[in-house]
Amino acid sequence: MAKSVIIKIKRQANPRETSRWEEFELPYKPAMNVISCLMDIAANPVTRDGKATTPITYDSNCLEEVCGSCAMLINGRARMACSALVDKLEQPIRLEPFSKFPVVRDLAVDRQVLFENLKAVKAWVPIDGTYDLGAGPRMTAEQQEAAYPLSRCISCCCCMEVCPQFNDDTGFVGAATIAQVRLFNTHPTGAALERERLTALMGDGGIQECGYAQNCVEACPKDIPLTRSISEVGGAVMKQAIGDLFRK
Amino acid sequence: MNGKYETHEHDVLIIGAGGAGLRAAIEALTQGARVAVVCKSLLGKAHTVMAEGGIAAAMANVDQADNWRVHFRDTMRGGKLLNNWRMAQIHAQEASDRVRELEQWGALFDRTEDGRILQRAFGGHTFKRLCHVGDRTGLEMIRTLQDRGVQMGFDVYMECAVTRLLKDGERIAGAFAYWRENGRFVVFKAKSVVLATGGIGKAWPITSNSWEYTGDGMALAYEAGADLMDMEFVQFHPTGMVWPPGVQGILVTEAVRGEGGTLRNRSGERFMERYDPRKMELSTRDVVARAIYTEVKEGRGTEHGGAFLDISHKPPEYVKRKLPSMYHQFLELADVDITKGPMEVGPTCHYMMGGVKVEAETAAASVAGLFAAGEAAAGLHGSNRLGGNSLSDLLVFGRIAGLAATEHAKKTAMPTIDAGQVEAAEREMLAPFERKGGESPYTVHADLQDTMQKLVGIFRTEDDLRSAMTQIAKLKERSQRLAVSGSRMFNPGWHLSRDLQAMLTVSEAVTRSALARRESRGAHSRIDYPNLDAAWGKQHNLIANRSGNMELRQTPVIDMPEELKLLVAEEKGAA
Repeated sequence: MAKSVIIKIKRQANPRETSRWEEFELPYKPAMNVISCLMDIAANPVTRDGKATTPITYDSNCLEEVCGSCAMLINGRARMACSALVDKLEQPIRLEPFSKFPVVRDLAVDRQVLFENLKAVKAWVPIDGTYDLGAGPRMTAEQQEAAYPLSRCISCCCCMEVCPQFNDDTGFVGAATIAQVRLFNTHPTGAALERERLTALMGDGGIQECGYAQNCVEACPKDIPLTRSISEVGGAVMKQAIGDLFRK
Repeated sequence: MNGKYETHEHDVLIIGAGGAGLRAAIEALTQGARVAVVCKSLLGKAHTVMAEGGIAAAMANVDQADNWRVHFRDTMRGGKLLNNWRMAQIHAQEASDRVRELEQWGALFDRTEDGRILQRAFGGHTFKRLCHVGDRTGLEMIRTLQDRGVQMGFDVYMECAVTRLLKDGERIAGAFAYWRENGRFVVFKAKSVVLATGGIGKAWPITSNSWEYTGDGMALAYEAGADLMDMEFVQFHPTGMVWPPGVQGILVTEAVRGEGGTLRNRSGERFMERYDPRKMELSTRDVVARAIYTEVKEGRGTEHGGAFLDISHKPPEYVKRKLPSMYHQFLELADVDITKGPMEVGPTCHYMMGGVKVEAETAAASVAGLFAAGEAAAGLHGSNRLGGNSLSDLLVFGRIAGLAATEHAKKTAMPTIDAGQVEAAEREMLAPFERKGGESPYTVHADLQDTMQKLVGIFRTEDDLRSAMTQIAKLKERSQRLAVSGSRMFNPGWHLSRDLQAMLTVSEAVTRSALARRESRGAHSRIDYPNLDAAWGKQHNLIANRSGNMELRQTPVIDMPEELKLLVAEEKGAA
């Protein structure tokens, strides 16, 4: 018998409905990844026991692990589906949507919270529209190289999914946002908003919610130094809080 | 209308959230317009994120002799003088400002020793000109534009696909779309529409393009009565992965060759010596692509029909530092370590030079209120694009389109939406559900890709193109009988049924134009007409919709002013 791939997918028709599992069996092809399996299912949406079903909903775009769209739980692990090679996965392959984000449908979840968090910490370089188009800010190669790993974030939200503190109770902003605070606070002109960013990370849901489980840095597909960013930004928040205390 | 459809009203509607769309949105917001961006995928995930090499701009940070004139000349020569000279001039003159602006907004470019933006060499550019962020320049560009847009507060309608442009008489009135998630229809009412929808790669099976690249903008413009231009010029990137199949088509950035990567055939020969002994691996894309194709065709290719691209003679640390994303990507996606051995590469459908015909100064299409920028527009690159010129294109003409769209909106009253057009657009979208036992969109798509790959690929002949026309006609008939099952809730088969119509339109336009152009120029290579033809060098092919029939006609290339002609003719460095 020809080799096949068995996939179990946790499905949910809409945000209100309860979830159910469906199982699929696909003909094996060399170097398949989870996305190519989902595409094969879309082209022929029939379950393993021969029942016609609907195609699986999921987000994806570049298929090169650059865009950050296709994050999901694969065999229980938060990761990108495009770089999840079937050959390296135990079967049946279990696919589930992220558990800490509202399910839109099937494997697609609403990750808008990341944008809200980035807005809250003003993750941008402040420009008032009167910028001078002369030479940009000088930045040394060392500064650029130090900041570079932080700018690799693809907003996939894996770090938030795996964080035990990222939940409704704490309202924790999560590692990705903290790393972006560090990125913009080290930027020559971005640093103008340093105080505001650090202030945004004080209090409930702020940086003190981090429990140092260090799951985030393990899960990050782009090897962003998340725990180091958290300790560094945490130190800066602390320093500013103490300073504020004395200024009062 | 009677409130039957969800309706949104804006001054400027931008379709596409890649580099051009976001830059257009930022400009329109800056100019005070009420702006919305509609995109098929999620914000920040557009195809632009996949651009690796860099942004071409004559900043002269590394090679002080560089200036806009040399950049202009390189662009015109790369395009074999079929470029809209004015677009090429504006592009070369404004690219540096657009890069500085991006830097101001926080883009983390690689630095020179004295702290300025570092620039690297790239195929077809006389000087070191590509401003880059490691090898993930596109992602950094999108991240920066997105952060800026979020700060300015634009409205983004994500996972929403436009199926028709709506018109009020002869001018644009908005667009008809559906939400991918739930299939509900939505009407956008707008004074100006900017098409920033990118290219058409998904009409071919081996492509570096993302799933969104189905020629939507060009088809929308065509259907709305705008002219398309230069559709025969499809760039095949010389180096896409040919193995393993799961990652077929994925691009290997030109930067690998820029950093010293060598191309060899199965017997280990560095074959570029026979095709371009002067520039070798840094030759223009079409020359490298043709070289690999010829090696494979003449039996000197690799096991999987490509060539070996090798950077493993450089120290592993150097490779990891200079090409970090490449290194990581190959390891992750294909279990290949590029510091240890060669990659297997071959031509992959990469970029569309043709597209919506636009005015250089305004990015305006030939329908009032319609604008196009980036890959969806034609003109800047002529018959062939230089690497690095697309990211700068997005910034320069994205801004121009946003500016002109806002100016148009300011002097225009809000158009009226014609209920008849909206209902027709809805009927068209619902039709595939009503047919029973029709064609599967997946099958028709696969057959279209097969036709385009075999007959309208990198090398073309009269016979092949004629049979492609016959095939496409049959596919178009079959596409009238598409049937889709299931509901409108996220239904990829249904989405494909619409995308397929766009792909068929652009495929026919490409084939018709390729058949007409009896010469080889830039990315258009006719085996039966292997040379440049002076007469064709003065003509563009135009494609227009004449009551449902595709019409091809020619229009003369706009004549360049004398001083620019002299500039183009000058020798290296003299400008």
